[in-house]
Amino acid sequence: MNPLDKLSGEMEELLDGFMTQTVVGDTTVGLTNYIFWMCVALALLVITVFLFKKMQAKSLVPQGIFVNGMELVVEFVRDDLCESILGETWKKHFPFLAALFFFIVSNSIVGVIPGCHPGTGTIGVTAALALCSFAYFVVLGCRRMGVAGYIKSLAPKGVAFPMNLLVWVIELVSTFLRLVTLAVRLFCNMFAGHVVMGTFAILATLFVEPLLQEFSLVALGYVGASAFWVVLLIIIYLVEILVGVIQAYVFTLLSAVYIQIVENE
Amino acid sequence: MGVIGYGLGVIGASVGIGMAAFGATTSMARQPEVQGRLFTTFILASAFVEALALIGFVVTLIAK
Repeated sequence: MNPLDKLSGEMEELLDGFMTQTVVGDTTVGLTNYIFWMCVALALLVITVFLFKKMQAKSLVPQGIFVNGMELVVEFVRDDLCESILGETWKKHFPFLAALFFFIVSNSIVGVIPGCHPGTGTIGVTAALALCSFAYFVVLGCRRMGVAGYIKSLAPKGVAFPMNLLVWVIELVSTFLRLVTLAVRLFCNMFAGHVVMGTFAILATLFVEPLLQEFSLVALGYVGASAFWVVLLIIIYLVEILVGVIQAYVFTLLSAVYIQIVENE
Repeated sequence: MGVIGYGLGVIGASVGIGMAAFGATTSMARQPEVQGRLFTTFILASAFVEALALIGFVVTLIAK
């Protein structure tokens, strides 16, 4: 009996597990499993931030691994994401960008705990995040240049008349495409990573099964393969933690770049 | 069939990510001072390319 025969059936079950299920209420008013884990991540984030503020106020010099670590992360967001891209105007946008970064990171960290889901693993949450970022830079542009001025500024200056319109249409489409790509990139990374992790976990269990039914040399060989899958699973798990942080970085970086484009008009 | 389609789609993404890594390593070897700034650009470029491959993966799983 080949353990791989059962894989497609198990995969269906795994994918069903990743679909949105309601925990409380129904689909219009209620709590789905992803939103539940998002609330857990948000609660953890709020607790961490308030604990950090409290411990930081204790002494002038930061002490302990927790306070120093948090300060390192905040300074990383400030220097690498805000100041290096936005220049002098970074102070105005730092709260928004830091909120985005920490929200996505806390969701990714909750998501890699076995049994939990990442809040960003559903398209609804990432679309809402992308909409926040999109609304932020569009409103900023409208405030700086006026609504008509912002719409006009999409086309670069110094292009001759007929080409002007064409470039403007392309830029308009690409502005709305930013919304889609921001949402889809984060969702796909989270979803695909967790599906791959689940697949390796299923493979590891399927390859042990023959030994439980009858003892043979082939079954022992399958157990060896199972150990290999477990090693791969651990590697993928570590990669998934890295991907969660990198995706938060990319999301925040792109938001900062879009804001910078508007600021420099 | 969907799995074969995903395999075909990944060819482009793998070439793209390989070229990004090639460019980054070559320029880092030539000019080690720009390592910090190059790393940001490299991560950004690979995230763009990687997203395409992942969209293929997710579409394969969802749309059967």
